[in-house]
Amino acid sequence: MPNVSRRTVLRTLGGAAALAAAPAPAEARAPRPPHDDDLGLLFDSTRCVGCRACTVRCREANSLPEDVKLVDGVPYDAPIDLNDRTLTVIKRTSDGADGAFVKAQCMHCADPACVSVCMLGALHKGERGVVAYDVSRCVGCRYCQVACPFNVPRFQWSSATPRIVKCELCRHRWREGKGAACAEACPREAVVFGPRAELRAEAHRRLEAEPGRYQGGVYGEREGGGTGVLVLSAVPFTAMGLPALGSEAVPALGETIQHGIYQGFVAPVVLFGALAWVTWRNRRAGGGGEGER
Amino acid sequence: MAHASVAPVGGPLLTRGTKLALFIAAVASVLVSVRLFTGLGPITALNDGFAWGIWKPLNVVTFTGVGAGALGLALVAHVANRGRHHPLVRSAVLTGAIAYTLAGISVLVDLGRWWSVWELVVPTRWNVRSVLLEVALCVIAYCAVLWLEVLPALLERWRDAPGARGRLAARVLPRMQRMFPFLLALAIVLPFMHQSSLGALFLFAPTKLHPLWYTGWLPALFLLSCLSMGFGAVIVVDTLTHLAWGRRRDVRLCSSLALVMAGLSFAFVALRVGDLATSGALRHVTGWRGVLFLVELGLFTYPAVRVLQRSYRENAGLLFWAAQLAVAGGALYRFDVYLGAFSPGLGWSYFPSLAELVFSLGLAAAGVALYVVAVKRLPILSGVAEPAERRQEAARLRAHA
Repeated sequence: MPNVSRRTVLRTLGGAAALAAAPAPAEARAPRPPHDDDLGLLFDSTRCVGCRACTVRCREANSLPEDVKLVDGVPYDAPIDLNDRTLTVIKRTSDGADGAFVKAQCMHCADPACVSVCMLGALHKGERGVVAYDVSRCVGCRYCQVACPFNVPRFQWSSATPRIVKCELCRHRWREGKGAACAEACPREAVVFGPRAELRAEAHRRLEAEPGRYQGGVYGEREGGGTGVLVLSAVPFTAMGLPALGSEAVPALGETIQHGIYQGFVAPVVLFGALAWVTWRNRRAGGGGEGER
Repeated sequence: MAHASVAPVGGPLLTRGTKLALFIAAVASVLVSVRLFTGLGPITALNDGFAWGIWKPLNVVTFTGVGAGALGLALVAHVANRGRHHPLVRSAVLTGAIAYTLAGISVLVDLGRWWSVWELVVPTRWNVRSVLLEVALCVIAYCAVLWLEVLPALLERWRDAPGARGRLAARVLPRMQRMFPFLLALAIVLPFMHQSSLGALFLFAPTKLHPLWYTGWLPALFLLSCLSMGFGAVIVVDTLTHLAWGRRRDVRLCSSLALVMAGLSFAFVALRVGDLATSGALRHVTGWRGVLFLVELGLFTYPAVRVLQRSYRENAGLLFWAAQLAVAGGALYRFDVYLGAFSPGLGWSYFPSLAELVFSLGLAAAGVALYVVAVKRLPILSGVAEPAERRQEAARLRAHA
């Protein structure tokens, strides 16, 4: 009896081990680097004075309703975070004098996690690197929200027909020759809209002109495989709420492992064939007995 | 006939227990109908940071873990060809079919734009990079496979009926037996794929999952945990049906499965601890998440060690206890990855709303009711006493009273 049991253990474990998703990458996936003519933003935190003109103009340009809250009976349109009607918002890193302003909006990653995980491609890399949303392909699973390291996609929780809401770099205005409304509204060139190559050049020009003003280089040049939004800051990026990402794209490890297991769908097909054959042979040998199941 | 002893339990369907279960399920379905009009916000505690709440780790990932007993027994009874375990197979497959169906219903209720879910089966719309798409398609397919595996029980009941149903059953049953090896292979490959991918989902949230849980081995750990808790669930269900209907059973079948369960638990613990030790993540065993981690390891290790002792695992009561702990261990690991060890950042918090809990409870209740109804009417359970025998037993009990 113990022998039989032990054999059962071993054979079952053997099956489990066969599947074992070895994290050793079978073949690293091709990187998806940012392109020089991808459109994006440069946000220079040291120039931002927190006027929030960007938030207001964004709301107008995207025809979004106000986010009015009553404070002591007085109405304010002053959202404190991104939400289902607010695509960009200005926050503060700390309540002290050494605090800095932070602009939150979609970072338009070159190789975004939200696009990798989206089942039907509702979130996809659109024209000129923008991370675009197509509601007709969205089933509302909200995996994009789980996967986004910047917590950008927002969901219409109080709607019976909800959609995901996020910045799309005002792509609906490009045809009119206009760029992102937030950059247009900024009075101090703290927010600049343009192609990535120009934004990078401008960021480095500012860094070199006043090196003492900044710390930490340009966030988004390499972080998370590169983001369409570049950030300059006088305080550490982590203090701004930006995640500490390596130069690897966020979905790279997951895709490498997953695509390694399923490469050419060979493993599942081989496993299927082997199992069907073993089962068929076992039944012919008559061990299991006919008629069961 | 390997299942000569398999028979319907019989008896009334509407007992006090099933009525209570149906009542809870009815309350839950009222909540669902409210959600159709209000959206998810008003009845759940979900938010943009915790976009997935308790329904994912409980209704989907734990229910299907319990249902993975069907996978475990497919491996033991048909691939390793331990024919003597066949008496446990039908109950496990029925449990699996019900668990996966409930998980599917839960996902449907959780989807914001549920009416467009049919698009998932249109290949031209697929994003083949999406792990969740793979999970969704596998679960849909596996659900169908499980109900196909349950089908013979219904057909066998029909076979003896006169008329069209009997003729249909007589024609379909042999065909099902011929396609059985292919069905069974699917019934192993599909859960291998999606159970491991349920872990792979969180490979895509490297900054949000605690380092004690974030590892490239997530897919393997999810597969191992579904198997260990699946075997545990088979033992739990076998014990419960024995207690409920006084059916005869061979405890040694369960005790040998407990050894398989123990082997899987040890493999899980070895992989989990070995991986954390080599990556250096063990230094993160601090705070309340460190406690969660240790409790997890305890729930995997303790029952596995205890059932190694023959006298322990052949004691039906102790074995029942060990199996429950093993199910709890698998469930806790899965809860931790989806919620306990998941943090979207400062300022976000989540605790399930009453409505979320009631919906989960309602699903579970519906599942129990469905199982009870099925085993009362279909030949699922083995060792069921003959009606005459049972009448004698009842008479004997009455005489004593």
